[in-house]
Amino acid sequence: MSGENAINFEHYGEPEHHVYALICPKCGKRFYPSVLICDVCHTRRNPFASAGNAPPEWEKEILEGPCTLLSWTRVFALPEGFTVKSLDFCIVEFPNKLRASGRLEAENPEIGMPLIAHVEIVNEKVNMDHYGFIFSRENYN
Amino acid sequence: MRKVCVVGIGHTVFGNLHHLDLVDLMGHASLNALEDAGVLAERREIVDQVFVANMGAGRVNIQSAIASALVSRIGLESCMAEAVENGPASGASAVKLGVMAIKSGMADAVLVTGGEMMNAVTRWISTDFVASMLHHEAEYAYGMTLPSLAALFTRLYMQRYGVTERDLALIAVKSHENAAKNPYAHLKTPCTLEAICESDGADHANPIIADPLRLYGICPVSDGAASLLLCAEDSPKMRHFTKPPVTISGIASATDTHCVHLRADPLILDAVRLAAERAYTMAGLTPRDISFAELHDAFVILELAIAEEAGFFERGTAHLALRRDETRVNGRLPINTSGGLKAKGHPLGATGVSQIYELVKQLRGQAEPERRVRDPKHGMAVNFGGFGNNVVVTICSR
Ligand SMILES: [Zn+2]
Repeated sequence: MSGENAINFEHYGEPEHHVYALICPKCGKRFYPSVLICDVCHTRRNPFASAGNAPPEWEKEILEGPCTLLSWTRVFALPEGFTVKSLDFCIVEFPNKLRASGRLEAENPEIGMPLIAHVEIVNEKVNMDHYGFIFSRENYN
Repeated sequence: MRKVCVVGIGHTVFGNLHHLDLVDLMGHASLNALEDAGVLAERREIVDQVFVANMGAGRVNIQSAIASALVSRIGLESCMAEAVENGPASGASAVKLGVMAIKSGMADAVLVTGGEMMNAVTRWISTDFVASMLHHEAEYAYGMTLPSLAALFTRLYMQRYGVTERDLALIAVKSHENAAKNPYAHLKTPCTLEAICESDGADHANPIIADPLRLYGICPVSDGAASLLLCAEDSPKMRHFTKPPVTISGIASATDTHCVHLRADPLILDAVRLAAERAYTMAGLTPRDISFAELHDAFVILELAIAEEAGFFERGTAHLALRRDETRVNGRLPINTSGGLKAKGHPLGATGVSQIYELVKQLRGQAEPERRVRDPKHGMAVNFGGFGNNVVVTICSR
């Protein structure tokens, strides 16, 4: 489930998890989630290039930090595997205009409020934990 | 280009039918359509091609290659047969492929049957199965579901256009009222504004499911099947059919971004607008020509948003028409006279076929008298896949 670019072992023995935007090497447009072709200049991304056998053509940029809440919901009917009573989800916009969906952990949310995006486990499964966005009022790292 | 007619229609009741077999359900609807067309005994000579619309048989019912199973169950060998999966828009997609097969000349008569059996598994599993159509890394992995996306959409829509909880409840009341008069509907019990919105007990009767969407803002999980027999107007087979033909004058689809957050304005449903424009062009019609519509109200907000994208109302004003009763059966533009997905039910693969079944039934003047549209000429169905990323629009005319 983890995206091919989602895990980055920056510290020996202590993995750091990030979500990345990909940057088109020709025109510089940023994408999240990843695409295989830039919709501006039509430059292709080779999905095999980032698997360790070739240098990635597209730069990765950590997509975290300040963002703005666009809409949110609290959902009480969750799918298989989620055993909590409810979860909050939202859509946010980053200052670079990229948008993302993810988990919201903020009391009394209001559209337009500032949030901080950070990356935590959002879906715990045996041998396939998924790291993704949690949006909150504070950066608790 | 050949004209394509609907010459037979079939339907099963919608509801929790998990005690039945999925192929039996689809077979029953198919035979109803062939019987309606008056060609039950001649079916092998009539049907050239079968398209089956289904979303979950492979995972939910552990049954693959469902088209072959259906053909054999109803004695239609040796026709051509394939299954079509396009999420909740599978039904209208199968009809579109049927129209394409006939217009291409590869077939004269096509049987299109949609069916689904979601209640064979727990709600936990069916919720997960439906959610699996979301973007796997950027949406689904978080536990997001279709109702989650609909709720995010609803909150924004309410804030921008002043739509109230009462408006959302009004849609549910209208749909339940229509469904109560539809013998095939899943939820036949009428509900009142007081019970679900304007009384002390409303919070209890109509609890939040995905804030701000409440129970009565979301369609039920339904099982059921629907079927249509299509035939080329210029085919010699047309002489066999007993019912007045209804023409599929326009049918088209369009796609949009997989992730909802990628849309420049998350409230704009481009795929609905584009599919509708393409269908209008094919039919040579405009929104003003449409007498009534079946719109994909899996979530009540979609009845408003889809009606606007289809050109029936200015953006952000459909709820005002709703308040003026313009979309009731006797209104200027009746919407979801069948009860819609909200109350007739939403067996995924069957839904798009069922919507067109309703168009034909109304255009023939055969709908139950209390929910019959007065003298309709053209009806539109909008079948909405994913959260608006693959939409099929069909116009039927008499
Ligand atoms: Zn580019």
